[in-house]
Amino acid sequence: MRVYLASVATDGKANSHALARPPVTFSFVQPTSVEAALRAVGTPGSVAIAGGTDLLLDFDNQRIAADRVVSLNGLPWKHLTRAGGRLVVGSTLPLRRIELDPRVAVDLPGLYQSVHAVGGVPLRHRATMGGNLVRASPASDLLPVLLALEATVHIVGAYGSRASSLDDFLRGSRSVDLAPGELIESVSVPYPAPSAYVWQRVRPAKDISQVGVAVARVPGAGHWNVALGGVVPRPIRSPSAERHLTRLRPKAEEITRAAEAASEGVAFATDRRASEAYRHLLVSVLVRRALDKAIPPEAPS
Amino acid sequence: MTRSDGPAKLEGRAEFGTDVEVPGMLWGALVYAPVAHGRIRRVPLSGVRSMPGVAAAVGPDDLDRLLPGGGDRNRPVFPRTEVMYRNQPIAAVAARTASEARAAADAVRADIEELPALIDLETRFPEWPGPEAARSEGIIAHVHARHGDPDGAFRSADLVLTETYRTSGIHQVAIEPHACVARVDGGVWHVTTTTQTPFGVREDAAEILGIREADLVVEGTWVGGGFGGKGAAFLEPYALLLAAAAGRPVRLGFGYREEFLLGRSTLPSIIRIETAVSGRRIEARRVRLLLDSGASLPGRDFATGYSIGFLLGPYKIPAFEMEGYAVRTNKPPFGPHRAPFAPQCVFALESHMDELARRLAVDPIAFRLEHVWAEGDPTQFGQRVGPFGARAALEAARARIAAWRTDAPAGHGIGVALGFWSTGTGAGGETRLRLSERELVIEQGEREIGSGSVIRGLVAVAERVTGLPAESIRVAYSDTSTAPYDTGVFGSRTVGALGQAVEKAAKTLLGILGERLGTPPVRLEFAEGRIAVLTNKGLRGLETLLTDTERTAGGLLVGGRHFGTPGTIDESRVLDGTFYPYSDFTAAVHACEVNVDPETGAVRVVRSAAFHDVGVVVDRPMAVAQIEGGVAMGLGEALTEEALWSSDGRLLNPGLLDYRIPTLGEVPSIEVVPIEGFLGAGPFGAKGLGEPPVIAVPAAVANAVAAATGARVFELPLTAERVVRALKRLEGPARA
Repeated sequence: MRVYLASVATDGKANSHALARPPVTFSFVQPTSVEAALRAVGTPGSVAIAGGTDLLLDFDNQRIAADRVVSLNGLPWKHLTRAGGRLVVGSTLPLRRIELDPRVAVDLPGLYQSVHAVGGVPLRHRATMGGNLVRASPASDLLPVLLALEATVHIVGAYGSRASSLDDFLRGSRSVDLAPGELIESVSVPYPAPSAYVWQRVRPAKDISQVGVAVARVPGAGHWNVALGGVVPRPIRSPSAERHLTRLRPKAEEITRAAEAASEGVAFATDRRASEAYRHLLVSVLVRRALDKAIPPEAPS
Repeated sequence: MTRSDGPAKLEGRAEFGTDVEVPGMLWGALVYAPVAHGRIRRVPLSGVRSMPGVAAAVGPDDLDRLLPGGGDRNRPVFPRTEVMYRNQPIAAVAARTASEARAAADAVRADIEELPALIDLETRFPEWPGPEAARSEGIIAHVHARHGDPDGAFRSADLVLTETYRTSGIHQVAIEPHACVARVDGGVWHVTTTTQTPFGVREDAAEILGIREADLVVEGTWVGGGFGGKGAAFLEPYALLLAAAAGRPVRLGFGYREEFLLGRSTLPSIIRIETAVSGRRIEARRVRLLLDSGASLPGRDFATGYSIGFLLGPYKIPAFEMEGYAVRTNKPPFGPHRAPFAPQCVFALESHMDELARRLAVDPIAFRLEHVWAEGDPTQFGQRVGPFGARAALEAARARIAAWRTDAPAGHGIGVALGFWSTGTGAGGETRLRLSERELVIEQGEREIGSGSVIRGLVAVAERVTGLPAESIRVAYSDTSTAPYDTGVFGSRTVGALGQAVEKAAKTLLGILGERLGTPPVRLEFAEGRIAVLTNKGLRGLETLLTDTERTAGGLLVGGRHFGTPGTIDESRVLDGTFYPYSDFTAAVHACEVNVDPETGAVRVVRSAAFHDVGVVVDRPMAVAQIEGGVAMGLGEALTEEALWSSDGRLLNPGLLDYRIPTLGEVPSIEVVPIEGFLGAGPFGAKGLGEPPVIAVPAAVANAVAAATGARVFELPLTAERVVRALKRLEGPARA
C-alpha cells in the first residue's frame, strides 16, 4: 500500500544528488467519489495528488516510486465554507482561490499572507492546502499560520472519518500522522482571528523561506499563539514567547521579551539556507514584526 | 527593432541543440565517477553491452581501439588512471532509447579506489603560499610580476590598507543545456552542437580525439545562451566516440541537474589586496590571488595572468607586485563565465578603493578620478592606454548619483564601481559578403547565441556601411567545412572583430561597384524587392553592374578579414608565468542605490544606472538589451548566486531552487547611459559590449551596502546573513 505522503515519509533513500534519471511512466486515474478514491489510493503502487506541483520533482528525486497516479481533483473537496465560527477549506481547493476570497484577507490576514507567500501565481492556481499539509515541508509557508490558528485536520479513511489537531498531525520533516489509504478532506480554522505571517528568504521571490513566523489570536485562547517555521524539522509553537503575550494589545516591552524568548532553548538547524545563529536572529526580528502587523489598532476613543 | 530570428524562436521553429534528432539516432548516456578523487582499477563494460537496447559502451580501455593513437594522452576522453572530480565521465553508453541508455550507464560498476580529495582552497593553503609553492604539486599556473619599488613604498607610506576578499563559484545558467548529435561517416567525423565556437569545438575535439581538424565537421545550432559555458569541446568528444563505436548517429545531452553538476562553472577565489598611500596618492600595491581551478583550468596562464591584472588596473600605480596561483582541486574543471573573473576581481578592487577613500576622507569618485588611466598613460606593464572613457563614465555617474542623493530615503546607500575590460580581443576572423540583385548575404562561421551580436549586430554593420535596410540583408550559417573561419562568439568580440570584417568587406563591395560605375557609389538602396546603387548621377539597378557569372553564380562575392593587433607589454616586469596586453580599453561604471534591512541584513537594489564606454553604439536597442541583461546577471552574482560544495566534493545546490538567479522582482529599473566618442577598433569605432555590463555590478552593490550600513562585506555574494555578520550583529558558525 503506498500513499504519496507515506512514501515521502518513509523513503530514506532519496538520492537528491543522482544526476540524470530515466523518464518515469505511470498510469493516471481521477476518481469521482470518495469511496473510489480511497480504494484507488489503497492500491499498492499508487500515489495521490491534488495540485501535483511536486509530483515530477519527487519522481526526479526518487522520493516516490509509484506506477499509478491518483488525482483527487474529481472529488467534491474544493469548498471554502464558513460555519459555526470556523472557516473550512477543502483539501483540493487551489490556494489562489483562498487568496482571492474577499473575506479571508479581512478575517484571517495571517492566512491570506501565508497563502500569498507560496510560490508564484501560476503555482498557486494548482497547489492546494491538502497537498501542503501532507508534504509537511519544514519550511512550509502555510503550516506556521495554521499552527498558530490551532487548525483542525479532517481526515477520511476506509474505516471512517477522524479529526486531528494540526499539532498532533505534524510529526517531523515530511512526516505526518496519516495512515496508508487515508486522505485529508479539509482543514478548518476559527475565524475571525487577528493574525499575521512574515518570512525571510535569500531571494524574496520564488524561494523557500529561511524562517517564517506566524502569530494569531484565536478566540478563547488566553494569549497570542506564536508559530515558527523553517527552524526545526517541523513548524513549532513557541510557548516561551506566548507567555509574554496574554494581552490583546501587548505592551512594547512584552513584545520585546517575547521576541527574545521565542527561540529560547531550541536548537535550530544550520543548513544551506541559513546558519542556526542567523535563524535565531531572524526569529526574534520576525516575531516582533509579525506582532506589530497583527495586533489590532486601539479603537478610536 | 527587428531581429530576423524572432518569429522562428517565438513560434518554436528554431532548432536548438537540444532539439536535434536524426533518423536512426541512438541516445547516449555518460557514466559518472562516484568519488571526487580516486584511482581507477577497472571500468568493466561487458555486462552493460548485453543490456536491452545497448548498441555501444565505451570506456578508457576502448580509446586505443577507436581513436588514432588512443586520442590525446594529456587530455584523454576518459581518464585512464585517476578520477579527478565527482561525476567525471568515466565511460559512455549508446542505446535505442534514453531510458535504456541511462539504465545501462547506471548499471556500470567501476572499481575505483577512493583517494583523499582536496575541495576547499583553504585546506590546501591555510596561510598564503610563498614562492616555493609555485612549483609544488597541484599548482597548475603561477604568475608573478613586479615593477618599481613596492617594498620601499610600503615602508614610507602614510597609510597601508590590507584586505582579503573571497568570491564564490557561479554558474552561467544558460537556459539551454548542452546537447549534440554526432556521426562518423566515410572517415569524416561530424557533430551538430550548441556552441559559441564551432571552430573552437573543431580544434578542441580533434585534439582530444587525436584526429585531423580536416576530418571533423562541426555544425552549430541556434544557441540558447552561452555566457562562456559553451566555448570549448565538452560533450562532443564523448558523442563522437560513441558514434564511432556504434556506427550510428548518437545524441548526447544534459538535463539541468547535470548542467549544474558538470557544467564548466567559475570556481571560488581568495584575493588579498594591499595598498600603500602617501598623502592621497596610491604609491604601491601588492595583490595575491588564489584561484580554485577545479580539475583543470583551460588557458591556465592566460586565465590567471589576465585575471590578476584587474586587481591593479585601470589605475596609475607607480610600483606593484602581483602573484597568482591557480590551485587544482577535486571539482569539475573551471569554466569561463561572462567576463571571466573580472566581476570577482573588480569586486575586490573597487571595494578596496572605496575603503581607501573612506579612510582618506575623500569622495570615492574623486579618488578614482585622481588615479584612473587616461589615453596615453602606461598600464602596469607599460602598454600605452588607448582611447578610454573611464573618466567620462565616472563623471557621468557622479552627476547621476548627485541627483539620486536628493531623493534617496534615509538608510539607503549609493555605491559606484568602475569596471575595466579589454574588448575585441586579437583573435582573427573572416566573412564573405555575397551581393545579388535581391539580397546581401553575410556568410560567416558563427551561430547566434542569443545576444543578437550575429543575427542583428553584423546586419547593423552592413546596414550602416551600405545603406541597405535590414530586410535585404541575411546572415547565412553553415558548418566548419564551408564557412569562413572565425574564432568564436566570446570575449565581447563579435561586433567588434567579426563586425570589422563585415565592415571591410562591405567597403570593398562598394569600391568594386564604384569602379564598375566609374563613379563612387553613394549607397545601396532596396526597393520593390530589388537592390539598386545610388550614385551622384541617380539610381542604377544592380543587375546592370553584375557580370554574367555573378548573375548566374550567386552574386558578387567579396571577403573581409579581421585580425586584432593588441599592444605589447614590458616583459622585464614579468617574473613568472604569462601576462597579456590589452586590446580596446573599455570602461564600465555601475551605480546603484540599495535599501538594507538593518535587522535582517537583507539587501534590495532599488535603482541602478550603467555608464558604458561603448565607442559608438551600433544598434541602440541591442546595446540597451545587452546592458540590462548584464546588470541583471551581475545582481545575481552580487546578491544570491553561489555554488555550495560539501567537503567531499558534492555540489549541494545543483538546481535553480537553491542556486538563485534574480527574478524580475529583484531587478530594479536600469538606466543605460552609453558613453560615446572614445573609439575602439571595431566598426565605426565600436567597442565590445558583451561582457562589460556585468563587471562592475557586484562591486557597486557592495559599495552601496557599505554606504548604507557602514559595514563592509568581504565575500560574494552579499547574502543577508553576511551583511548582518559584517554589522557585528551575528556570530557563530556560518551556513553549512
